[in-house]
Amino acid sequence: MTLDFTSILPSLPFILKGILVTLQIVLLAGVIGFILGIILSLFKISSIKVLGVIADIYTSIFRGTPLVLQLMIIYFGSPQIFGYQIEPVTAAVAAFALNSAAYISEIIRAGIQAVDKGQSEAAMALGVPYRPMMLNIILPQAMKNILPALMNEFITLTKESAIVTTIGVMDIMRRAYIIGADKFRFIEPLLLAGLIYYIMVITLTFLGKLVERRMKRSD
Amino acid sequence: MIKIENLHKSFGSLDVLKGISTTINDGEVVAIIGPSGSGKSTFLRCINLLETPTSGNIWINDQDITNKKTDIMKVRENVGMVFQHFHLFPHKTVLENLTYAPMKVKGKSRQEAEKKGLQLLEQVGLAAKANEYPNRLSGGQKQRVAIARALAMEPDFMLFDEPTSALDPEMVKEVLDVMKSLAHTGMTMAIVTHEMGFAREVADRVLFLDGGNLVEDAPPSQFFSNPVTNRAKDFLQKML
Repeated sequence: MTLDFTSILPSLPFILKGILVTLQIVLLAGVIGFILGIILSLFKISSIKVLGVIADIYTSIFRGTPLVLQLMIIYFGSPQIFGYQIEPVTAAVAAFALNSAAYISEIIRAGIQAVDKGQSEAAMALGVPYRPMMLNIILPQAMKNILPALMNEFITLTKESAIVTTIGVMDIMRRAYIIGADKFRFIEPLLLAGLIYYIMVITLTFLGKLVERRMKRSD
Repeated sequence: MIKIENLHKSFGSLDVLKGISTTINDGEVVAIIGPSGSGKSTFLRCINLLETPTSGNIWINDQDITNKKTDIMKVRENVGMVFQHFHLFPHKTVLENLTYAPMKVKGKSRQEAEKKGLQLLEQVGLAAKANEYPNRLSGGQKQRVAIARALAMEPDFMLFDEPTSALDPEMVKEVLDVMKSLAHTGMTMAIVTHEMGFAREVADRVLFLDGGNLVEDAPPSQFFSNPVTNRAKDFLQKML
């Protein structure tokens, strides 16, 4: 086997453009998933039982079925569900956001429940209402427990985003595959795609460590 | 004034408080003592509704706080609490611990809250620690900050739940001294404590709880030298 990267060199800009597509999906899905995850986790720790049940069912469904299935239902099902065909990128963002919300809600729930109960009692004793107590006292402390697992989830999200290629989104993966088919050389573009994903994940890991260190200031 | 009438609290089938009635007058310092499991802490925690009473009534300044329509948060603003394990906010500096609730709950400006906070830190002898994080403080220092944090809300009443029980022996005094000087300012205080010397010296009244009942309610001079019930005699013999 001989590797010849020079032959795909002209296609390099084409593949690199996929980074933007992948990043767009991952960032949007990550942010939306995070917000949804916080809401779901608050449902789970709520004293209102029915909210907890709803959040548990949600989590159970999205964790209990393949992500690629959820993606296809949203994309190919959209004409039947919404009456029109949604964009592949929109479908991808929706599927990843909904899916990662389920995982993130579990991460946040566990993180919140690991915060000493005395903290909420101290806040309550000072007359602090529930919302500011959660936002200013409990969540910032929970973040320390949450962050490593959350970073893991974002890393998974980045890598798993490659399956959007199945609905025709022009992400890194799909572009690499197209070049491979075009040149009849698959290994080189795919290795290149692998390298790009790897660098993205390493960057995320590095960022995570940085934020973690910053949060440890008060220790 | 805090008026408590026939207060009951059960956790499932466990009756922790079995009908306690008493009144804490303005400016009074009340020490609540008794063996473990007698319901001291639960009693104290009912006063700011960290525990919801099963039945009975509590009036704070003539407002029935057990009434469902009462705004619990408003009540708590006026009743400071100090915990055994301090519960300072670890992600906030000492000064931020003091300014958070006054700014958030009472809508004070940062400037105003910080001025008051620094003044309180001065009062508990920790002005130099204003910008430290709690984890850098000793237990005694943490508890003094916790007292200052509660005072920052300018409450009429202060509850202390075994404030010195988690401290190394040599740090107990610094906390008790702060509480003593607070008592001298005329603050109304209810203190769950095992510090008999402190109770005898500072308290105006001693409440002795046993098995969820208020067994004795007397001035310390009388309680410590002439306890009425055998249960109290027995307890004091073991403590002193």
